[in-house]
Amino acid sequence: MKSIWVWVGALALGIAGAVSAYGQDSLPAPSPIEKTLAARATHTTEVTLDKNMLAFAAKFMDDKDGDKDDKQVKEMIQNLKGVYVREYEFDKDHSYTSDEVDGLRKYFESSDWSPMVHERTKGIAEGTDVYLKIVGGQLQGLFVLDAEARQLSLVLILGPIDLDKISALGGNFGIPKDAVKKAQKEVRK
Amino acid sequence: MEHNDRKDGRDSKFEQDDLAEFEQKLRFALQHRTAPMGMKARVLATARERRRQKQHGWQWMVQRVAASVVIAAIAGGAVAYHQIEERRKGEAAREQVMLALKITNKTLNRVNERLTDDNQ
Repeated sequence: MKSIWVWVGALALGIAGAVSAYGQDSLPAPSPIEKTLAARATHTTEVTLDKNMLAFAAKFMDDKDGDKDDKQVKEMIQNLKGVYVREYEFDKDHSYTSDEVDGLRKYFESSDWSPMVHERTKGIAEGTDVYLKIVGGQLQGLFVLDAEARQLSLVLILGPIDLDKISALGGNFGIPKDAVKKAQKEVRK
Repeated sequence: MEHNDRKDGRDSKFEQDDLAEFEQKLRFALQHRTAPMGMKARVLATARERRRQKQHGWQWMVQRVAASVVIAAIAGGAVAYHQIEERRKGEAAREQVMLALKITNKTLNRVNERLTDDNQ
């Protein structure tokens, strides 16, 4: 009888471990705050791409046409586990509260993420948060929350992010190389 | 001489008997007899069936060829539709990736500007 309970316990632990491992690599469900923000926004952009969708999209980025951007993007997204992007544009300044920004940050924040940038302007609901997920010394995720007066952007990228590749894309996609260098320094620390 | 005459008479009698028997058989064969009940209907039905089978063979072949063509056209259409649909979905996914990257880059740029301003 005792051995049965040991087996049941081991099985439960295994299932819990698998679920937790899956949960770490999968995209989160949308935060309830997003709904209220979308209701107030004049323009909302929502992009959610899981691993399968990214792999599917990569298949249609062939380098046959000689499109350099396509080739670079394909290489970059091939190993990603998910991309979650939200952008809200408002017609009035500060159409959201500091609590909503903090709520969003906390919703996506977990112990795996290391804060890289946390910047707030006193008195107004503006600020920037950049988190990096570093596993085994390698960058496995990037979270950016940028709250401007009339715009709120949220970017979550899961999976191995090659900063050199992002750096190489800098010229084409406008990713600032300084920001990448800063991130690289953080990772090497 | 007499012996020969007698022999000739006998032969002639045999021939006459044979002829009579033949005539009798012929008469019997040519005698009008009423056909059995339903004979005409059976003959006509058999002929109709043969004709129908002949036609049916052709029709069956034509039908099979037509069915094969229709099935091949449906299968080809389904494959083509699937490929077009797959391509459309793939292009949509690609556009989504590009849009996500654009927003990411725009956001990173803004973060960079904000941090640069703060440092200055």
